[in-house]
Amino acid sequence: MTTDATGFATADPGEVLADIAGMLRALLEEYGLDEAEITRETTFHDDLELESIDLVALSGTLREHYGDRVNFAEFVADLELDEIIALTVGQLTDYVVKSLQATEAGGSR
Amino acid sequence: MKIRTGEITTHVQRLPAAPREEQQGEPPVVVFVHGLLTDSLASYYFTLGPAFAAEGIDVIMYDLRGHGRSDRPHSGYQLESFVGDLAGLLDALGEHRRVHVVGNSFGGTIAAAAAAWHPDRVATVTMIESEPPVAEWTRHMADGLADAKDQLRHEEVIGWIKDNHGAHTARLSRGASRILQTTTLAEDVPSGRVIADDLSAINCPLLAIFGDESGLSAQVPALETKLDRCRTVVLPDQGHSVLVERTEDTRDILLAWVREHELAEAVR
Repeated sequence: MTTDATGFATADPGEVLADIAGMLRALLEEYGLDEAEITRETTFHDDLELESIDLVALSGTLREHYGDRVNFAEFVADLELDEIIALTVGQLTDYVVKSLQATEAGGSR
Repeated sequence: MKIRTGEITTHVQRLPAAPREEQQGEPPVVVFVHGLLTDSLASYYFTLGPAFAAEGIDVIMYDLRGHGRSDRPHSGYQLESFVGDLAGLLDALGEHRRVHVVGNSFGGTIAAAAAAWHPDRVATVTMIESEPPVAEWTRHMADGLADAKDQLRHEEVIGWIKDNHGAHTARLSRGASRILQTTTLAEDVPSGRVIADDLSAINCPLLAIFGDESGLSAQVPALETKLDRCRTVVLPDQGHSVLVERTEDTRDILLAWVREHELAEAVR
């Protein structure tokens, strides 16, 4: 995704990526890790060494930040456990952007 | 959300029941209890939890003491402490409905113990690949936990797990070893309170799901003989990881079970 055709700033992929990276850094700080470089290709388990329970915490933070517009639990419910393990920051970013765009499109009707 | 349960803080996640037209009165509530050492509420959060909420059931998931994002005290891992946390959690949440307790592996043992020791709070019990908390169970746990505690502290064992079962399992094993080395869990779990072998302490309906390749399915005849209201399901070609590997089967069996007992709860 290179352009944001809807023109809504909140659904901007770059901003969403920055938001998610910030949430992840806060999570990693709890483990005393704050040096992690976070890109679209970063994987939650292998690169950041997060456990599935950390993704649950991330889900709570996403809800606080975006409200009901982004349902992370529903997103991962469709994934197999090994797909959750292999999940990248980019995949989550795309899902958040898509969710935000969907609610914006619905709201403007 | 974190909640005080006794002397520790417990990490809880709730998913509210989606509205259902046919729902009369309050929806049923299911509490999911995860297994020992390598497990957390994430096992439900990413499998059954959302599906149950979507079907109009209130879902409560929590991390056991020592696990996930709940507190990890140095000691206090007897079965009665785990059951105390569950009761304390329901108190703290103000839950007045009787709950359907669903437990995976050790979580199923907790569920059965909760039914025995808090019969007023439990509508039904489901054990997925579990044993009820009888004396023989404590012997199995004592052997298994002592062995895990001894083996997993060796880096070459973790290396072997990595080579044969992958990096993810190796990381989980390292996490398990951390709990075992830094707490008295391995000694506490087998030394707690038990129920009598005849299972007469369990008076609510009990559902037990097993994989036929796991040794635990050998309990089926005894469970059916000892319990009046018991249903057993044995999934073919399946080992211990029923919840992860047979999520859809487990979901369908459990949803039908909860619906079937909903009316009985409503007319109480």
